[in-house]
Amino acid sequence: MTAVVSFQGVSKWYGNVIGINKLTLAVPAGVTGLLGPNGAGKSTLLQLATGQLRPSQGLVKVLGEAVWNNAALNCRIGLCPEQDAFYEWMTGWDFVLTCARLSGLPRKEAREATARTVAAVGMIQHKDRAIRGYSKGMRQRIKLAQALVHEPDVLFLDEPLTGTDPVARRDLMDIIQRLGSEGKSVLVSSHVLHEVQSLTPNIVLLSRGRLVAEGNVRQIRELIDEHPHQIVLHAEECRKLAARLLTWDDVEGVRVLEGEQGLMVETRKPDAFYGRLPALYLEEGLTISAVYSDDDNLEAVFKYLVRK
Amino acid sequence: MVDAIATVGAKVQTASRVSWVSASWTLFTLTLRQHLHGQRWLVVGLLFLLPAGIALLVRATAPNVPPLALEFLLVMMFVPQALLPLAALLYASGIIQDEQEEQTITYLLLRPIPKWAIYGVKLLAAMTTTAVLVVAFVALTYLAIYANADVSYGEVAIRYCQAASIQALAVATYCSVFGLMSLLTKRILVIGILYTAIVEGLFANLPFGIRLLTVIYYTRLIAYRSMSFEVTRRRGGTEDLAAVAWQLDWTSAAKQAEHPQLSTSIFLLVVASMVCAVLGGWLCMQREFHVKTPENN
Repeated sequence: MTAVVSFQGVSKWYGNVIGINKLTLAVPAGVTGLLGPNGAGKSTLLQLATGQLRPSQGLVKVLGEAVWNNAALNCRIGLCPEQDAFYEWMTGWDFVLTCARLSGLPRKEAREATARTVAAVGMIQHKDRAIRGYSKGMRQRIKLAQALVHEPDVLFLDEPLTGTDPVARRDLMDIIQRLGSEGKSVLVSSHVLHEVQSLTPNIVLLSRGRLVAEGNVRQIRELIDEHPHQIVLHAEECRKLAARLLTWDDVEGVRVLEGEQGLMVETRKPDAFYGRLPALYLEEGLTISAVYSDDDNLEAVFKYLVRK
Repeated sequence: MVDAIATVGAKVQTASRVSWVSASWTLFTLTLRQHLHGQRWLVVGLLFLLPAGIALLVRATAPNVPPLALEFLLVMMFVPQALLPLAALLYASGIIQDEQEEQTITYLLLRPIPKWAIYGVKLLAAMTTTAVLVVAFVALTYLAIYANADVSYGEVAIRYCQAASIQALAVATYCSVFGLMSLLTKRILVIGILYTAIVEGLFANLPFGIRLLTVIYYTRLIAYRSMSFEVTRRRGGTEDLAAVAWQLDWTSAAKQAEHPQLSTSIFLLVVASMVCAVLGGWLCMQREFHVKTPENN
């Protein structure tokens, strides 16, 4: 399979801080999710892939061409950056049209492309309002429009769903999926697993600038499912509850939290564990006032995968 | 909306559709619009109103002051020494730094315009804005000096055109110098003010070779070689205001020959601007412009 984006032994340092560490990666055509906790190096990777940063070591190629100082390649690349920055005094229409013109589209084509793209991201109604008055969702949509307006072959989306309301989120996800089905290559970064999972089965996992895993989401989920989940239970009779939980086969360990306010339980079968909890109250009278998972963020999963 | 989505990506981008000139022109107009939307032109405008205000005040309180002396003091001393470097500093310092601070530089770097061209076009826009401000406000100053004065308006118009051209050239050179400096230091405003005070203020007024390194020296020479600043004394005779103020020994042909000719002075300013612009463009090609993301990834 031909790689649309390739990293060959790429490292990027900011002084003594490593952004990307000896990364070798080939991103195939289609939609690929770039997953990692905050600080994993996702934005650095995207900035390297779009030629904004020069690799300290190694080579980054997009569509077979080196990206650093290759302005001509930008005709075929689009980026929806993470930062919430705009020419605030512009209207949404003006902003997208300006980006189209900056991409070198002639006036007439730029207008047509702007009209098409603004409609595509659902901003026709708000196109004549100043960007400074836009909601977060509108800003994300218009930011996506500027990335699409010159019809790039490869699209890089840096946390495009962050801060959006459910409707905007659904619309943006539709657009991304549609782009993929139209044959565009899209690399979309996120720190939320289920977000990426609903966009594509192909994911790349990054942690601390290193490639942790890549491939089909199912394979990676299997790796993740081996990771012992940590669940916190708040209860009055902590010690009694702990003793009871330790009799369950799937419980790896129980720790009483400070002040005996609750327990931290480790289990490899969280679904089964949650399923048995109601019976503790109904049959044994053990009251549990709160239950939550400490593993909802990806940080713990990544730590686990890195340790492996 | 679904129909609209379906059309995205329907066309294939081809190199033939991309117009480099169109992209650069859009960047140029975008930068001019940024200048208009900023507060800088208000600050610069207010500063440039000072000479006109002073001229009106002097004419109202001291009517015996010759208009030519007033013109020399305000248009040839005050404006080039204080206002031109300041205006250039305010606009040229932000060529790249403003875009970087506001994190909008990403939208420029992702276009098919090389980084050297981004710098060059934005520098050209800074030169245009400052030159337009200079031409407009110098006209206002001339109006304040010569309105209702007993002079030939044709001659005044010619002097205005000469002065405005000289100052436009000077401000363009300052833009190139400060633009280059802004790529070398993040404290461009402080460094720029120090440069203006020490190099253009102090060194340029010393009657030694060191003034050959200043922009204002050549600006003065162009003015001196193309315009006359001789005023009639009350007790008779004439006085060359510029020669005295600028410490130009013009007493003999040999002394005059020590100073660069008019064409040489113009050529040197143009070359200095171009060298600074090329160096700035080259630096941009070497540099990466890291934009901090919200997560600081």
